[in-house]
Amino acid sequence: MSNFWIVNMGAAALLIGIGLYCLLTMRNTVKLLIGIEVIAKCITLALIATGWTKHNLLLAQSLVISVIVVDVAVLATALAIIIRINRHTKSLDVRKLTKLKG
Amino acid sequence: MHLSLLIGLVVFSILAVLLQDLLKAAISLAAASIFLAVVFFRMNAAYAGVFELSVVAGLITVLFITAIALTRSEDPLREGKFHRLLFPLFFLALVVIDVLVMKSLLGRIPALTNPEAGTFGEVLWKERSFDLIGQIGAIFAGVLAVLALFRPSGKSSQGDKHE
Repeated sequence: MSNFWIVNMGAAALLIGIGLYCLLTMRNTVKLLIGIEVIAKCITLALIATGWTKHNLLLAQSLVISVIVVDVAVLATALAIIIRINRHTKSLDVRKLTKLKG
Repeated sequence: MHLSLLIGLVVFSILAVLLQDLLKAAISLAAASIFLAVVFFRMNAAYAGVFELSVVAGLITVLFITAIALTRSEDPLREGKFHRLLFPLFFLALVVIDVLVMKSLLGRIPALTNPEAGTFGEVLWKERSFDLIGQIGAIFAGVLAVLALFRPSGKSSQGDKHE
């Protein structure tokens, strides 16, 4: 059982690394959201794996559902912002979002 | 079997991050969600698996594809080759650090608690009822934000003229 938890947490750590790499290096705004999604997957995997190991699976599942719902709301808002920005700048490049720069 | 599912999850997540074509990246993300949902089902987390499969693999992929269809770029945005070349080195370092950290965690497994009583519905509606209020608030905030962002452009252009 302990090895099972370690393997799951190892995979979760890899996912958070991949997501952070995407957030730090990519310029495409949609890609940045994909990076956030990958990090959200890491969180859900870690929650369920820990809940399974501690025999607390019901609580872990309710927390995962909360995470997914909040994730969807954030993603819908962020995609709407991206679409609006794209209509002005005609680009998905995050470096062109310099309107608020002093 | 479980390990191969986790490897599939990591591989499709890497594809989602590295693929240049946004549509393929979104579909790779959906495939990663399907792997994660199967992992959840194997760990007896059926409710989380259903949510992962229907909401994340379904709804979020639809949202991504809709956004990709509604946006257009005048100059095709290509990520630099440097980042793609750097990724294998970064991933190798990440795996090495991951293995070392997880080895050190072997003796620190979370302590077992008493098995939960009741059903999923009881836990969700009684123990975590405050979370549900927050979820409803988050959904309404998201809906209102999307409505505000997509309101008819006539009003905003009038506002711009007044300014």
